[in-house]
Amino acid sequence: MNITLDHIMPSPLASIKHGPDSIWGNKVELIAGRRILLNASSGKGKSTFATTIFGLRQDYQGELFYDSINIKDFGPNEWTQVRQSKISVIFQDLQLFPKLTVQENLILKNSITDTFTEVEMLQMMERLEIEDKWQQECGLLSMGQKQRVAIIRSLAQPYEWLIMDEPFSHLDIDNTDRCLKMIHERTTEQKSGFVLTSLGSSHGYEFDQELKL
Amino acid sequence: MLTKLLFKNQDRKQLIIAMIGSFLGITFLITSIHYLIKVNEFGEGTEILGPNTIIVQKKVTTSTTFGMSKSDFSQKEIDNLLAMTFITDIKPILTNNFNLWFETSDKRIPEFKTNLFIQTIDESFLKIDSKKWQWEKGDKSVPIILPRDFIVMLNTFAASSGFAQVSDELAMKAGFKFMISDEDNNKEWFDVHIVGFTSEVSAVLVPASFMEYGNMNFRLEDEKKITQIMISGKESEFGLVEQMLTENGLETRESQMIVGRLKSMVGTLFFVVLCISIIAVFLSGLVLIQYMQLLMSKNAYEVRTLLRIGYHPDNVIRRFFIYFVKVFGIVMGMGMVTFLIFKHFLDKMFKEGGLHIDTGITYWSMGALLLALALFTLSSFLTAKKGIYKEY
Repeated sequence: MNITLDHIMPSPLASIKHGPDSIWGNKVELIAGRRILLNASSGKGKSTFATTIFGLRQDYQGELFYDSINIKDFGPNEWTQVRQSKISVIFQDLQLFPKLTVQENLILKNSITDTFTEVEMLQMMERLEIEDKWQQECGLLSMGQKQRVAIIRSLAQPYEWLIMDEPFSHLDIDNTDRCLKMIHERTTEQKSGFVLTSLGSSHGYEFDQELKL
Repeated sequence: MLTKLLFKNQDRKQLIIAMIGSFLGITFLITSIHYLIKVNEFGEGTEILGPNTIIVQKKVTTSTTFGMSKSDFSQKEIDNLLAMTFITDIKPILTNNFNLWFETSDKRIPEFKTNLFIQTIDESFLKIDSKKWQWEKGDKSVPIILPRDFIVMLNTFAASSGFAQVSDELAMKAGFKFMISDEDNNKEWFDVHIVGFTSEVSAVLVPASFMEYGNMNFRLEDEKKITQIMISGKESEFGLVEQMLTENGLETRESQMIVGRLKSMVGTLFFVVLCISIIAVFLSGLVLIQYMQLLMSKNAYEVRTLLRIGYHPDNVIRRFFIYFVKVFGIVMGMGMVTFLIFKHFLDKMFKEGGLHIDTGITYWSMGALLLALALFTLSSFLTAKKGIYKEY
């Protein structure tokens, strides 16, 4: 699925001057299967990009297409379909359920599509070295641990695009590498693409494309 | 998991208060509807006349005796009574304008012969199988309804004369005869069979067709006056009927009025309880709905996140909707059980008090329960839908 941003200009960013190669106000196409880095400093609209592309905000001018379909035509059924099998997101604020355990958070997501078994999810936890947090309430985890749980949760569904909004901001280099490796494997396995927003670092990963804000 | 996420961390105080309110409302709602219907049904089927029906005549005074005032009803007087809002129907009672002899013709019962006075009541006032209440010219047997006092009198006579007494069943199987005649001594004989008994009418009742036949073919006078009428009053308004009788110088059997008065009084009482119950159910349902809104508002983050990770809004709506319908269902179940316990004791009390109310469960009370559930289901669904789509 290709995603086309046709002269999108979010209302909160309309007053800011954007460069000629910015995705805001220009026509940009995200080609299916590509690994894209969206590099920008704070306040330029990285989270706005993630939430706009995911259909969470409509306060923009221009048009956004999934293949040839304008997302403004989507209703609850279409959005549910998109969120279950087309696009997965790691939100900057992670959006985990603090009162539920890690296990419950992951099962709650995984049960929609039955993508993994519990054993597989536990193995992913082991790879990211948080397997001992399986029964712990998410509200009690550190930010780094929460980020790793949110990454596993985002992988627990089929997707064509994985949108990651600064997912490694609280992780050290080793943990970031482990996470990126897992994301790369899962994305390659599904022949899908991803967009990673970052504050400047490419985390040592070779991207197919780099977008600017 | 979803249920735990949405419903585990809630302050249940308000929920419990709303449930108690609904429980009390539902219990009293079923109880009041049930007994309101039972009270209105009271007396039905046990008598020949329908419920809330009385026989009325003008009070006989000294001036009536000396012919200074009339004891019969004119058509205008009947029309005036019929115009009153609490009266549903009025029909004159027809009497025989021919000579009639009634006699036994069965060896099983004492020989008995008497000159008799018969009446006809409009069929719409009679609670009797219309197939049994048929007579046509040429029919040899006439169906009659006998005053219970007549059987008592017959048995008193039989006992004092050394004959066997007659039961209701035997009387209905036994043979009787009518002999009707006019002033010229023209006569005709008919077999008679008893189809029912009444304590409300003092005369033997015959079908209108027989009365018309006798009055036409064996007439004694030119015109027969209407001295008694049947009045049907509205449920719970027998006080007004009684007031009207007093104001118009009319009278009826006191026993007929007592049942009407009692039914009006108890019916009004249950009606008041019913109104209070409806208000209670409505208010507690409202509190439950408000609690649902509060719960959705407290879970706004959870709901929003569920929708973002791929849950369909309808799935989340269903969770809230089913949870609250279950809560209301539990309340209804508890209310139903409490009603059955109440009913057990109330029926026992009524029975001990001499009021033999039918102990079956009324369809209307069950219908009211289902209606309350349907209304709550609908409003909880709409509230859940509105609340969830707000977060969408």
